[in-house]
Amino acid sequence: MKVQVRNVDNVSVIDCSGDVDLYSSTDLRGTLLKEMRSGKPNVLVNMTGVSYIDSSGIATLVEGLQLSRETKTRFGLFGLRSNARSVLELARLHTVFAIFDNEKEALEKIATTEPFGGL
Amino acid sequence: MKLVINTDPRLLHIVRSVIRYYAQEAGFPEADVDCLAMAINEAASNVIRHAYDNRPDARLSLEVKSFPDRIEFVLEDEGRKVQPEAIRPRSLDDVRPGGLGTYFIRCFMDESSYDSTFTGGNRLRMVKYFSRRVSSSDEGSSQERG
Repeated sequence: MKVQVRNVDNVSVIDCSGDVDLYSSTDLRGTLLKEMRSGKPNVLVNMTGVSYIDSSGIATLVEGLQLSRETKTRFGLFGLRSNARSVLELARLHTVFAIFDNEKEALEKIATTEPFGGL
Repeated sequence: MKLVINTDPRLLHIVRSVIRYYAQEAGFPEADVDCLAMAINEAASNVIRHAYDNRPDARLSLEVKSFPDRIEFVLEDEGRKVQPEAIRPRSLDDVRPGGLGTYFIRCFMDESSYDSTFTGGNRLRMVKYFSRRVSSSDEGSSQERG
């Protein structure tokens, strides 16, 4: 899995690609928590290239969601493939994350999204 | 087929690939193939985390058997006996990290049970029948059977 960070205007975009599992989720976790703790007001995870995500990856996203409450960061996901979306729905987590179809929509809406998810 | 690998999480993708291959060969539809691969991935991840405390140099074995009506998976390790409460699925209303691996196993498999008579570590048997498919009605209601 690859994890890279871009800054677009006032938004930190974390680009993920490949499989997110017990091994690789540690990379995503480190990057996600670092971005949130660094005081970025808006953080988006680009999941367009994520071909697989397991419970470890989901746990990482939930941890990010929880931290976003403490750091007052607006946090969202975009570009989920059908399998990743299905996993979130199965875990009934699709309603607690701000989920956007694509980057354009995410960048337009993240600043006006209800902060801190649905927790 | 029996696969024996080290408990290095970098190898989990190999487990998923093997399961996908066998499930496809057995005739499961693509949606079920992905579900089965994820279930076994979660079971193996539980072994790595809970039986071996993330040690990468221990061993786990996975046996796959095909039958006319089902496919069976037996996952064995020689690690610490896993306490059921350590891997009990959390309530889906309790939004927090963790607690989903066993939930996914129960969603995707028709049967899953630990062999309490197995003394060498842990032996988890999981079964998927050809006639049953994962559906929303299975969510949160799957129980260990057999």
